[in-house]
Amino acid sequence: MARVQLENVTKRYDDVTAVEDVSMEIEDGEFVTFVGPSGCGKSTTMETVAGLTKPTEGRVYIGDDDVTTLAPKDRGVAMVFQNIALFPHMDVYDNISFGLRLRTFSDDEIRKRVEQAAEIVQLEGMLDRMPDEMSGGQRQRVAIARAIVRNPDVFLMDEPLANLDAKLRVHMRTELQRLHRELETTIIYVTHDQAEAMTMSDRIAILDGGELQQIAPPLTCYNEPTNRFVAGFIGSPSMNFLEGELIEGGLRTENFDVELDPGAVPGVGVGDDVTLGVRPEDVHLAEHADSLADHTAHIEARTDVLEPMGDEVFVYLLLAEEVQGSMEEDPASSPNQLLMSVTPDTEIHEDQAVDVVLDRSKVHLFETATGDALVHGLTDRSDQESGPTATEAE
Amino acid sequence: MSDRHRTDGGETRTDVLTESHEAELDRGPFQRWVDDSIKNPQKVYRAMFYVAAIFFLVTTLFPFYWLLMVALTPEGQLQDIIFTPNGFNPGAFVEVFQTIPFHWYVFNSFVIATASTIVVLIIGSLAGYAFGRLEFPGKVPLLLLVLVISFFPPAAFFIPLNDLFNTSFFFLEPITGDGTLYNTPGAMVLPLSAIFMPLAIFILTTFYSQIPEGLEDAARVEGTTRLGALFRVIIPLSAPGVATAGVLTFIAVYNEFFFSFLMTDGQPESWAPLLEGIIAYQGQYEVLYHLMAAASIIGVIPVAILVIVAQEKIVSGLTAGALKE
Repeated sequence: MARVQLENVTKRYDDVTAVEDVSMEIEDGEFVTFVGPSGCGKSTTMETVAGLTKPTEGRVYIGDDDVTTLAPKDRGVAMVFQNIALFPHMDVYDNISFGLRLRTFSDDEIRKRVEQAAEIVQLEGMLDRMPDEMSGGQRQRVAIARAIVRNPDVFLMDEPLANLDAKLRVHMRTELQRLHRELETTIIYVTHDQAEAMTMSDRIAILDGGELQQIAPPLTCYNEPTNRFVAGFIGSPSMNFLEGELIEGGLRTENFDVELDPGAVPGVGVGDDVTLGVRPEDVHLAEHADSLADHTAHIEARTDVLEPMGDEVFVYLLLAEEVQGSMEEDPASSPNQLLMSVTPDTEIHEDQAVDVVLDRSKVHLFETATGDALVHGLTDRSDQESGPTATEAE
Repeated sequence: MSDRHRTDGGETRTDVLTESHEAELDRGPFQRWVDDSIKNPQKVYRAMFYVAAIFFLVTTLFPFYWLLMVALTPEGQLQDIIFTPNGFNPGAFVEVFQTIPFHWYVFNSFVIATASTIVVLIIGSLAGYAFGRLEFPGKVPLLLLVLVISFFPPAAFFIPLNDLFNTSFFFLEPITGDGTLYNTPGAMVLPLSAIFMPLAIFILTTFYSQIPEGLEDAARVEGTTRLGALFRVIIPLSAPGVATAGVLTFIAVYNEFFFSFLMTDGQPESWAPLLEGIIAYQGQYEVLYHLMAAASIIGVIPVAILVIVAQEKIVSGLTAGALKE
C-alpha cells in the first residue's frame, strides 16, 4: 500500500504529445479513476506509473521512492490489462503464481497465496484449467487474482471490464468495489466509461488531450465541473450548452434570456461571451416550476423526439419555431435544442408546444473562449441581487 | 418439390418422362464424369490432391529407393539397376562402419549442426525480438542489410575466412592447441551460423511480432525483465516458429557442402563432417558406390528423426497456441 504521486509528467512521441504536464497525488488506499475519451492520455499516464512507458519529463513517486527510472518489476505494482493478457501456455495456477515464482518464495508459500487469491476471486477448483477453457468473466478473475497474489503496493487496472458483456460488467464492478474494501490497496483504474468512473471511485481524474482537467470526488465533478469539457463528459446524457452573451441584467442566448447580475460573475463583464450549461434533469416543465426554489423565466419550446428510458423520459426540445432537429448538430451544444428529462408519468407528446424553466441553482456558466467554469448555480447571487437587477431592467 | 407434383398427378408423369428422356441421351463416360464433377467439385479437388501428393512422393522418395537399391547391390554389379538390385548384400550397411569410422563423421556433423542451431536460435531470437517488437531508428535499413547479407554467395567469404581460421590466436591456444580454428568445429559453426542466421531472423521476427503486446507487458509488470519475458512468454508461445527456424537451420548445416569440405583436413579426429565420410569411400583406383549409398542412407537417419520429433512439436504448438485478441 502506498501513495502515488505524479509530478509534471509529460510523454511525447515523435510529433504527438500523449500526456502534457500531469501532476496529481493519490492517497494511500484511494480508488482513483482516470477517465476521458479515446486518445486522451489516460492509459499512457497509467503506463508511466506501471513503468511500461518512461515519461519524457517529470517524476513518478510510489510511496516515498522516486520510481521514474525503475523497471516495472521493481515498482511493487500489479496490473490488470484490457485484453486480460493471461499467458495462454500456462494453466490458471501457473498464471497466478507467475510473479511469485520469479521471486524467492517457497513452494508452500506460493501454493498458500495462490489458493488465498483464488478464494478471494472465487476461482477455487479451477486452478488446473487452461485460460482458453474459461469464460470471459472467469479469465478476468484470474487476471485479478494474478495481480492481488503479490500484495502489490499499487493496483493498476487498464479498462479491465471493457471486453466483458454489459451484465457481467455491472457485476464485476461491484466485485471490484468489494475487493477494494477488502484489500484497502491503492487502486488506479482507467476507463472511458464514465458510469464506471462515477460508481466506483473515491476520486475521478478527467483527462482530455493529454491534460488533466479535474481530479475530484465523483459528485464534485458532476455538480461543480471545473470546465466545459468535464461538464459535458461526466453525466449521461450530456449537459446542455447554450452559448450567449452577457448583457445588462442577464445572459442573452439565441432564444431566451436568463436574469442575472453580470457583476456577480467573476472574471467576465457585460459584452463577454458566456456559455450556459444545464443538465437535462434541471430543465423542468413550467407547470412544475412551483416545486423549484428559484427558476428562470418561461422558455417557449416545441417537443421534437421523446426517448422513454423506463425510469425517465428524455425530451428533445426545439427552442426556435423554424428549426428542425438536425443530424449534423450535437444536440448538447446546439443553440436551438435543449434536452429535458421528465418522469415517465408526465403527459407529453411529440411536436407539442411547451413552456420550460431552468433550475437556477443548477445552472452553470462557462467562459466561452476558454471553457473554464465561472459559476455553479445562480441562486445565491440572484437572491441577494435580484431586486436591484430587476428594477434596473424595468 | 415432390409434394407440389403430387397435387397434380398428370404433371408428375410428364416430368418423369422428360427426365428419363434426358437420361437416355447418349453420353460417354467422360461426359458423365464432367457432369458429376460440376455437381460435386469436392471429388475433383480430392483427386487433384492425390495426383499432386503422389507426384511429390515419387519425385522425393524414388531417389531414396534407388539409393537403397544401389546400397544393396554387391560391389561391381552396378549395371542396369532399375527397380531391383543386382543381388542382395545388406552387409554393406555394416561394412560402412568397418571400412572407415563412419559413425565418427556422423557424430561430428551432428555436433556441428546442433551447435550452429543453438547459436542461430539464441542470436536470432534476440535479433527477432528487437526487429519484431521494438521501435528504434534504423530498424528497416538494418533489416534490409541482414537480408542483403543473406544474398551473398557463401563462397565469397571463403578465402578471408580460411585465412582467418588458419591464423593463430594466443587466446585460442588453451582450447585448440595451436591457436587456430582450422580442424575444429568452430571453423564450420561460425560461418554456417552466420550464413543461415538471416533466414532464422526473418522467421522469428514474424512470429515474435505477432505475440500481443499485453502479454509481454503483463510479464514485465509481474516481475520479468524484457529478456525474461522473451524466454518465459514470447518464445514458448512462438514454439512453431522456433521449431521451424531450428529445423531449417539444422538441416541446412547438416547438408552443407562447401565449408564442411574445406574447413577441415578430412580426418574424423579433425571434426570432418558426414560429407567427408561419404567421400572417403572414393579411393584412387575404385569408388565403392554401394558403400557411399549405404552411408548416405545412414546419414539421413538423424535428420529424419529430428523432423519427425519437431513436426510433433510444430503441430502441438499450432493447436495449443490459442492466441486470441
